[in-house]
Amino acid sequence: MATEIDMPSPHRGEGQGEGQGVKEYRWRMPANWWTRTRHYFLYVAREFTAVPMALWLIWLLYEIKLAGNGPAGYYPPRSAAFVAFSAVVLLFALYHSYTFLKLAGVIIRVKVLDRSIPPRVIVMAMFGAWAAGSVVVGFVLIWFAR
Amino acid sequence: MSTTAVRRPALSHLFFWFLFSNGGVITALLLPVHVLVQGILGPLGIVKVVDQHYDTWIRVLANPLVKLYLLVLIMFAFFHFAHRIRYLLMDFGVHAAKTVPAQVAFYGGAAVVTLITVWILLTTVPIGI
Repeated sequence: MATEIDMPSPHRGEGQGEGQGVKEYRWRMPANWWTRTRHYFLYVAREFTAVPMALWLIWLLYEIKLAGNGPAGYYPPRSAAFVAFSAVVLLFALYHSYTFLKLAGVIIRVKVLDRSIPPRVIVMAMFGAWAAGSVVVGFVLIWFAR
Repeated sequence: MSTTAVRRPALSHLFFWFLFSNGGVITALLLPVHVLVQGILGPLGIVKVVDQHYDTWIRVLANPLVKLYLLVLIMFAFFHFAHRIRYLLMDFGVHAAKTVPAQVAFYGGAAVVTLITVWILLTTVPIGI
């Protein structure tokens, strides 16, 4: 009969007087681990980009919903506070784009005629797609405002 | 007694990784230009932008392709955000973020945002006016 294996913790007894008791040693990272090196800080900043981007998209949903109020109930965003908020979100969004698209060279493996496409080419293609996508979306947002 | 470990494909992990990675790419390619144009250039009056006037905003929102585009953008983005924030919490030592209830809360939250998006897109401006 097949049963699942109960694997011992890899940290059990590590430096804690092995064999002296049944207490399991649990390593806990100090709360400020991410402030210790620049690399860790940038990693957390990259992961955190999700929060401001989510807030901005929730605002976009709200703006779409506002359109249902009719012309009298619709007020477009023009405040300095909103521009400042968007400027901060833009920094995070650009950082997300840069890091995520750069990562594509590591993750995506494409073979053409039995030869792997170099990661550098894949990253360049992703950045090209970013430029093209930005031009198309920017064009639609501006052209249809006439 | 045999001690063979039971190997099962992690299908849910595969599914959420698919949403995470595609959401990451979609937000990376498309979100900065929205924030720049709709969040900065439009409000400052540097360029005319569709959402700065009711008439142009409603005309664009009535287009079914625009509705589909906004749904894909927001849905994938929120599944990406849910995955990232859950794993960030784990990195900060919040072990509860690994549990099934946390997964239900995060991915369920993304699903709720998706449903709200569908509802807003279908009820705010009728298709094709």
